Amino acid sequence: MTFEEKLKNGEYEQIWREYCGFLDLSMDEYMAIQNRLLKEQMDLWCASPLGQKILKGRRPRTIEEFRQMVPLTTYDDYADVLLQKKEEMLPEKPIIWIQTTWEGGKHPIKTAPYTRGMLQTYKTNVLACMILSTSNEKGKFDIEPGDTFLYALAPLPYTTGLIPLGLKDEIDVEFLPPVSEAVNMTFSERNKRGFKLGMKKGIDFFFGLGSVAYYVSLSVAAMSEGGKGGSKLRALMSMSPSMTLRYLKAKQTCRKENRDLKPKDLFTLKGFVCAGTDNRCYKDDLEDLWGVRPIEVFSGTEPSCIGIETWSRNGLYFFPDTCFYEFMPEEEMYRNMEDPSYCPRTFCMDEVQVGEVYEIVLTVFKGGAFARYRVGDMYRCVGLTSREDETRIPRFEYIDRVPNIIDIAGFTRISENSIENVIRLSGLGIQDWTALKEFTADKGRPYLHLYVELTPDAALHSAVSREILKEHLTIYFKYVDQDYHDLKRILGMDPLEITIVKCGTFENYRKYRGKTLRRINPDVHDVREMVKMQEELYAQRRH
Amino acid sequence: MSSYVFISLAALYCYLFFLVIFLPAKKNKLIVHFMLVLITMILWTGGSLLMRIQMPPSYRFWYHVSLTGIWMLPYAYLCFIREFCRISRKDGCRVWGILLAAGTAVNWLTEWFLPAPQIVISGTGVSFVYHMGWQVCIMYGLCLGAVVHMFVMVFKAGKRDPERAKKLSAVLFGIVVLLVGNVGISVFNNFPVDILAGLFNAFIMFYSLYSLRMFTLTTIGSKASCYVLAIGITIMAFYNFAQSLNEAIQRRVPSLNSVSVMVVVVLTSIATWIIYLIMKMLFDRIFIGDESSRTEQLSRYASEVSSSLRMQEIFEAMLSMLSRTLNVKRAYICVGDEEGRYPMIYSSSPLDDRSFSMSTDHPLVEILRRDGECLLLRDFKRTVEYKSLWEEEKLALDAMKVECFMPLKDGEDLVGVVFLGAKESRRGKRERFTNEDLSLLRSIQSVSSIAVKNSRMYEKTYREACTDRLTGLLNKEYFLKRVEECFERCKNTSLALIFLSLDDFKLYNQLYGEKEGDEALRRVARIVSGTVGESGYTARYSGKEFAVVLPDYDIFSARGLTENISVQINNINRQREEADTFRKALTVSCGICAIPYAATSVNEMLINAELAVYQVKKEGKNGIIVYSDQFVSEKTGAQDTERHKSKYQEYAPTIYALTAAIDAKDHYTFQHSKNVANYGEALAREAGGSEDFQEIVKEAGLLHDIGKIGIPENILNKNGKLTAEEYEVMKNHVAASVEIIRHLPMMDYVIPAVIGHHERYDGKGYPRRIAGNDIPLAARILCIVDSFDAMVSKRCYKHRIPLEEALRELERGAGTQFDPELAAMFCRMVREGRITLADEESPGI
Repeated sequence: MTFEEKLKNGEYEQIWREYCGFLDLSMDEYMAIQNRLLKEQMDLWCASPLGQKILKGRRPRTIEEFRQMVPLTTYDDYADVLLQKKEEMLPEKPIIWIQTTWEGGKHPIKTAPYTRGMLQTYKTNVLACMILSTSNEKGKFDIEPGDTFLYALAPLPYTTGLIPLGLKDEIDVEFLPPVSEAVNMTFSERNKRGFKLGMKKGIDFFFGLGSVAYYVSLSVAAMSEGGKGGSKLRALMSMSPSMTLRYLKAKQTCRKENRDLKPKDLFTLKGFVCAGTDNRCYKDDLEDLWGVRPIEVFSGTEPSCIGIETWSRNGLYFFPDTCFYEFMPEEEMYRNMEDPSYCPRTFCMDEVQVGEVYEIVLTVFKGGAFARYRVGDMYRCVGLTSREDETRIPRFEYIDRVPNIIDIAGFTRISENSIENVIRLSGLGIQDWTALKEFTADKGRPYLHLYVELTPDAALHSAVSREILKEHLTIYFKYVDQDYHDLKRILGMDPLEITIVKCGTFENYRKYRGKTLRRINPDVHDVREMVKMQEELYAQRRH
Repeated sequence: MSSYVFISLAALYCYLFFLVIFLPAKKNKLIVHFMLVLITMILWTGGSLLMRIQMPPSYRFWYHVSLTGIWMLPYAYLCFIREFCRISRKDGCRVWGILLAAGTAVNWLTEWFLPAPQIVISGTGVSFVYHMGWQVCIMYGLCLGAVVHMFVMVFKAGKRDPERAKKLSAVLFGIVVLLVGNVGISVFNNFPVDILAGLFNAFIMFYSLYSLRMFTLTTIGSKASCYVLAIGITIMAFYNFAQSLNEAIQRRVPSLNSVSVMVVVVLTSIATWIIYLIMKMLFDRIFIGDESSRTEQLSRYASEVSSSLRMQEIFEAMLSMLSRTLNVKRAYICVGDEEGRYPMIYSSSPLDDRSFSMSTDHPLVEILRRDGECLLLRDFKRTVEYKSLWEEEKLALDAMKVECFMPLKDGEDLVGVVFLGAKESRRGKRERFTNEDLSLLRSIQSVSSIAVKNSRMYEKTYREACTDRLTGLLNKEYFLKRVEECFERCKNTSLALIFLSLDDFKLYNQLYGEKEGDEALRRVARIVSGTVGESGYTARYSGKEFAVVLPDYDIFSARGLTENISVQINNINRQREEADTFRKALTVSCGICAIPYAATSVNEMLINAELAVYQVKKEGKNGIIVYSDQFVSEKTGAQDTERHKSKYQEYAPTIYALTAAIDAKDHYTFQHSKNVANYGEALAREAGGSEDFQEIVKEAGLLHDIGKIGIPENILNKNGKLTAEEYEVMKNHVAASVEIIRHLPMMDYVIPAVIGHHERYDGKGYPRRIAGNDIPLAARILCIVDSFDAMVSKRCYKHRIPLEEALRELERGAGTQFDPELAAMFCRMVREGRITLADEESPGI
């Protein structure tokens, strides 16, 4: 029976139980599901040539042995099998391959297989997200066949392209613009068409990457303001009578309140879902624009859709049947970063501590390829139970990507390697550098702050003003990283800030403080200390 | 005439109209029975009307006609309901028919059941007085019995087929109205409620048939029907109101007195025209809109698919057509391939599992090929062929929720099969496919079959013309076209070209056989296309050479990508899954050139990239060079040159050290290995092997039994036959040899020969049980010379076999144990004295 049939039969309670029932699980029940599904996956994965390759011929029999024998993996461990789509080496034959960008130039893409079971779970989870996005209390939701979606998602082969396909099988929803048209449109064309259709049919749901959703919302607001006389009239004529009425009423309200028109004046969203990093920077603005606070989901190319917030918007719960979750404490992660030979400890869901920050390690269920996979995301456990949500399982807050990766607005994955490449390619005389993800003081928007020290020679013989460095490095960032290019192209963001430190600062810091700054995301206090130290040294010299 | 006659007239007109509509239509049993019901109603209403107006021959005759209609109506109705419920004919319906017909006939002749009424002329008009006796109860009792039978039938049908029973509810309602109307006649003081009820009932039956899609309304919606209806209605209106209208005009507008008739006629004509227009609009909008839109869609679909030669586009159009016209949301398409199978290659959702496949002897394929007609799953399940379906196949069909199969045929050939999922109603409920749907599917089928056949041929030809059969990459000709296109597009940006040439691939083929060589090429192709993805085009440029063109890539990015590909190719044989195979690592020489950095035209770019490859080969292979005027080497590889030239000489001491080790343990094995090495080298030379190859066979011969170091001496030198267990231990020497050689990475090239020297040509050897040319050539050579030397040598447990007998033994084993060509070649060499035998060298052994 499809979701739509269930809705038509009025099985609201059963629907809630089926899709959101995991929220009622006790910790033991949750772990029972995790362990049972891991056993199934263990059998499939360990017997597969891929599993045997990573296990080097060994065969774990218990979950403990599995966690002991399987090393923590990254995409590099799977690249030779997955990039060539060697289906015969996988635990189960995939139905579809999902793709995302990896490293520009050398590894243009990375691919992940999705099996039938994974897709089924994904479908269920997306519906759960849809349900929870409309609910404001336990058991209550508002979904109807024919609901409209503003389409702000990347199409296939990106993972978000699965959403329309998954929903199509279960419920008749309308995407604005229709997916078949949207795939052939540019980002701005899609927004314009979506908005136009939205004005005719209304918008019930909005799914998107936090930053993209914010950008789309701003363009919707701008479009609502309309053009000059003639085009405004034309726009009014194309609207439905009820929407025209609404529009005129909204205009009057805005005039009264002396503010610009916002999407919330025209549309009443039932559900608003956002994904990706840096959502917290956009959530307040998005709420202000749409009148609904977005609900956060966690979804990735490799693990699919794994977590969702509830009506309380106070922490993310992980679906128990998508992946087996392990949590690596922050200090273990740092230790492993400093000494790659160190094997960090991980904890299961029933072992996490409130307030602790963890790097997540995933084993994808249902014949997935990834085992003990470091997807590169950090979470903080914000509670083991919740009175508000009536839950007895841990909930988490998404922090960011792992510290050795800088992700801006869910678009880029800047690593030490990529910055080194950029600097090398730019040919600029940069002697030392460190990069930090920071947030603007006014709106809290993320940006990449690069502290650079020039070689004395470069400082002497080349034009190396802050502006020149910024322009120069931005060009190379765009060259090395297609996603960085998209930041500018799609969101109009220019997220690079440069601070030039005095020649010799890094060396002095090493000398006087006895430690070396990490290249990516060092402790912000250390960076401040280093900057401050320039002045101290000057003062010392004067004395 | 009273206005009540108008009602009878209207009813009679409607019945006749329905009957006329169905007369030319394609009839099935249900329609025939509906027509029977109509005829009985016509008899009833018409007889009654003509009786009332005392039409000749006599009112009595028309009375009997009317009564025949009334009494035969339950039977006609019963037959109609039976067909509607799809109940078999052996259910006793006919008894009612015979009894009612007999009763009617008797009444015609004797008027025993119900005599004709008497005409009573009163002041107001003529009335008919009936004198009913108890006998009439017999006939009405029979009628009632038939009606009860009908309700029982409906009840049973409702249990069996609730969907259809629901559609019957309207018909039953009509019957109830009819009955109430007949009873009500006595209440409404001669007002013909019964006739009105009959008319209402006929409309309901008409609607029921329409909802079952038993007929198409396009025929009804013709201009002629609209005219007939309009004229009929006007005549009736004219008949009833013309007189009063004329009088009204004369009274109210005296000036029009002289032309009042003309005004009436004009008004009537205008009314006729308006009624016609309304009728036409009604039919167009309400009834045939749907059907004519289907026809329109079909013609649009036909033009859409005929203008496309891409299978994907045709399938998309087909599924969209099915979704629009039949509301079929799920469909899967299997198309026949060159191997005679029908794999699923398309489905309505990319998330569907497309692993389903049918062979030519699949029962479904056979039925569809034979009949060429759409087949419903429920009908397929009742066929004998369905019995031969595997459970797995049945489950797969269930999982796909298939309801109907549509064959795509080209003459006798079955091009493909479309699996259609459930048809959904507007409310989203599953519906059955009707005859009308099947006829639409037939039209879609004929249009699609031709289109799919043409596109399949086109795509096959296109594929053959553009791609390399072995690797699936583009072929050279097509690749060059793509390069030209890319050049035009990227003239003002950049375009990079990479050539990748596998090193020593001829030797690889010689060592492992062509099958392994092809496998290696396929693996390399997968790596290249997997890494390049959608960033560019990849091709198999020649036998062992691949090419990649990358639009908008500069030299730096192209080199990064090449390094990545090169590392992956180097790792191919290091990551092989099979534990018992050890192959030499594959290396690749890569040349890169890019526009505008090192070339200005396509030709120049191609030549320069090839030159770069040549330079890598010259500098010792396994490297990457970006073309520039100075030929800057971008990756190490040049230092390998010298090593390449002298590697066999370099390994010689290692080989002799190893053989000396075995000599210390078992002198025979040492001597035997030397003999095998010499014979092997000679045979390799005779077989046309390169110098490299001869050297490899020689070294493999020296090392082939090195694993015997690990075999206990009591087994190695045992007198007499080995036990099964001892034989197993002995067999392990192959694996042991390989294990030892593996630790000398530079000598891994001898492994294929060593591991395969106990394989038999017929596949019964060990350890891998491979056969024929799958056994590497070097191993086949070793197998012959190893056996030969074992036969002609004297051992502590056996005597020497005479030379000629040993050769005969080789000849006997040719084709089973030995490669027939090589065995013959070796025997010839020995007989002709073109090989130095060990005895001749060292007579002491």
